[in-house]
Amino acid sequence: MTVRRLARREVVDALRSYWFVLDAALFTAGGLALVLFGGGDAEVLGYRGYARALAGLAQLAMFFVPLMALFPATAALAGDREAGTLEYVLAQPVTRGEVFLGTWVGVATAVLLSLVAGFGVIGTVAVARGVPGALVAGLLGFTLLLGAAFTSVGLWLSAGASTRSRATSLGLTVWIFLLALGSLGVMGALVRWGLPASALEAWTLANPVEAFRVAMVAVLDPEASVLGPVGASLIGTLGRGGLVAAAAGSLLLWSAAAAGLGLRRLATYTEPRS
Amino acid sequence: MIRAEGLCKRYGAHVVLDGLDLRIDRGERVALLGLNGAGKTTLFRCILGLTPFEGRLSVDALAAGPSAREVRRRVGYVPQRPPIFDLSLAEFVELFTAIRGAATDGAAARLEAFGLPLAARGRQPLRELSGGMLQKAFLALALGDGRSVLLLDEPTASLDPESRRDVLRAVAGADLETTVLLATHRLEEVRALAGRVLLLGGGRLLFDGPVEELEAAAADERLLWVELPGPSRVEAARALEGQAGVRRVYANGRGIEVAVASGAGLDALEALRRRGLAVTDFHSRPPELETILERLAGEAHGGPVAAGTRRAGSPRDVGAGEREEP
Repeated sequence: MTVRRLARREVVDALRSYWFVLDAALFTAGGLALVLFGGGDAEVLGYRGYARALAGLAQLAMFFVPLMALFPATAALAGDREAGTLEYVLAQPVTRGEVFLGTWVGVATAVLLSLVAGFGVIGTVAVARGVPGALVAGLLGFTLLLGAAFTSVGLWLSAGASTRSRATSLGLTVWIFLLALGSLGVMGALVRWGLPASALEAWTLANPVEAFRVAMVAVLDPEASVLGPVGASLIGTLGRGGLVAAAAGSLLLWSAAAAGLGLRRLATYTEPRS
Repeated sequence: MIRAEGLCKRYGAHVVLDGLDLRIDRGERVALLGLNGAGKTTLFRCILGLTPFEGRLSVDALAAGPSAREVRRRVGYVPQRPPIFDLSLAEFVELFTAIRGAATDGAAARLEAFGLPLAARGRQPLRELSGGMLQKAFLALALGDGRSVLLLDEPTASLDPESRRDVLRAVAGADLETTVLLATHRLEEVRALAGRVLLLGGGRLLFDGPVEELEAAAADERLLWVELPGPSRVEAARALEGQAGVRRVYANGRGIEVAVASGAGLDALEALRRRGLAVTDFHSRPPELETILERLAGEAHGGPVAAGTRRAGSPRDVGAGEREEP
């Protein structure tokens, strides 16, 4: 009951957020443009002609979905703390675990609802143009996993931050760091330290943004032409199915681990003296 | 019932509560006094489990702490500055009654009595309510059924006189079994609501007794307001320095305020006249609660006082321009 009530409040808060709605709208518009105008050779190649457009959609999700989750998640607990509302909630007969879980469920639901709405539009157009529905569903599923992972990361940072702006700054820093650690980081490590392929594969899968990217490209692009050397190596090691399963596992692990750290942070955080 | 034994709370090196021992019985109405920073809000936060502490603290024999959900179920709380949720009044009431597993009827009836009927005002966002209305909304929730303790942290601080009366009436009408702990700076609220006064200072209990004893603590003192032309105020303050019976001198916008021993007011005015300083107006009144608190906090640096007794100690004369710190 308590978790549900707190979650409902978070959903309403997130959907009232200007940044959240703008981010979701831009993602939907960008995805629609890719599907409408990115599959030029589809009449000849069928769905394969949309592969690159869908891979582009995956790239778009890689940039936008973390932000869609980070904005409301970082604002949730830290924003409530800054406004004094968190202390009042914690003064009620609730546990900190219920407050964290309610917040997580609420933010994740808001992210899920906006992604499902966006993909509803994008997917309908894509399927109408010959893309198999299963692929669109797979892309949606992985996008939701990415959203869940960054919801957890955002709430972890938010649970220990005294202000909303501090939590959001930390969230954006983490996001940029993970993006930079992606292809560029892998290439840099390869050149600088000459790391073995297995280390680079682990590095790629351990980064939620990269795990999402390589899994999506492996599924959506039959030629895996934009997968990069580490992705190709991963397919060689794990196979397409194994890579997808490993990437999903990585995203689930990020969701659970960051949520666990966030819960622990909230449980041990001493509210500042008012 | 609230019980504290050796309650300590530190923020880094700063000790806010220093081994506090306390017992408040069921149904008692107690005023919690202290200068700003004395630890009143911190005591509330410890009871609510919002901050960790050392020592023992219990409500109805249940240990307080961050995981003490049952304690929080029994406690109604009105914070010093009600936070503004991004909710309408009806959503706010619905959310916090639901968290307690209660129906909204009771809170709705109390809001109606406070002039905030949900039928008419329910859709109004909390942020559009005045400070007084917001305070009443929080009080309406805090007064809910099943609370054995009511913690009120300066609940009338932002209210107009009429709203203050409404709130005090509502608190006075709370179930007789409910223990009320009211943090306040207003002497009239202490007189109206509390049979017992606790004074916190320096993290300790400085006074524990009826309000009459507290007021008697300052019965030997009067505040003398003296209006003087601007340039002569500094000279007037100097003139009163060391004057027999003068305890403190505060500079003010249009004159000076002098804390004097009872009966020493005319001597102080005579001292100003001898210096040739033109007094344009003056009046004398009993000290305010803040002044009493300052005095007691200043006097008592030797340890807690037993229940029902006022800390003994003669008033200490203070030179002109000085102001005692707790």
